[in-house]
Amino acid sequence: MTETLARSVIEPQNPRLNASRNANLPHVPGIRIGDYIFLSGMVPVDPETGERFHGPIGEQVRMTLGNMRHMLESAGTSLARVVRIHVVLADIADMAEMDRVYREFFPVDPPARTAWSMQLRFGNGCEIECLALAG
Amino acid sequence: MMRDVIAAPRPGLDFRRHYGHHQSPAIRAGGLIFCSGMLPIDPDTGERRHGTLTEEAHCIFGNLKLLLESAGSSLDRLVQVHALIYDSIEYDVLNRVYRQYVANGPPARTVWTAQSEAGFKIQLDVVAAA
Repeated sequence: MTETLARSVIEPQNPRLNASRNANLPHVPGIRIGDYIFLSGMVPVDPETGERFHGPIGEQVRMTLGNMRHMLESAGTSLARVVRIHVVLADIADMAEMDRVYREFFPVDPPARTAWSMQLRFGNGCEIECLALAG
Repeated sequence: MMRDVIAAPRPGLDFRRHYGHHQSPAIRAGGLIFCSGMLPIDPDTGERRHGTLTEEAHCIFGNLKLLLESAGSSLDRLVQVHALIYDSIEYDVLNRVYRQYVANGPPARTVWTAQSEAGFKIQLDVVAAA
């Protein structure tokens, strides 16, 4: 059986959060393929100004996940439909603080998660990507 | 499309309970199973099982087998694996243990050098077919 899945681009309603377009980068905020939505890695960007936010790590995580919520809602779905998430930290020692803020966003049946640390660009303290189901 | 939580198949594999990780062991969605980062944790006691990369990998694959089989899948149905190891110098060490578990057709794989929590030498991020 050969089936071609419909493919479309996911973009945020808030244009300040369209990082790839604003910086003319060769990727898009997300792709919907069939009922799967793959988002690009998201970093802490202030939704009011579009500027990078490099405050305390807990605030960086809160801003990033808030923007992820906006991205998913722009695509007609929600954080509750996230299936798998990758949380990348610049410093592994931030794991506990990340987790403290993270749980605010996933009150029930949280997604499968893998978290690790590696060097991130631009001094970001976190980068988070997810795979979600369409709403 | 349905989104189903896969429960921990053994008490030790509930990382949320033992370590407070805010995550489900795995989520099944649309014919695929997405596992949370697999770590070398004793499946019965929930204790960390630090060791050599080889020892940790044996433990992880044992846990992965339990998790996938409890969800009706198996190691033969792996689709994609991200292997996070602490030092690229262990790449060949990883391969020697890894190939024992994927003898019936290995999945797509990417290996990254990264730090995992608690100083574990290896963590596996896995997608399998249901």
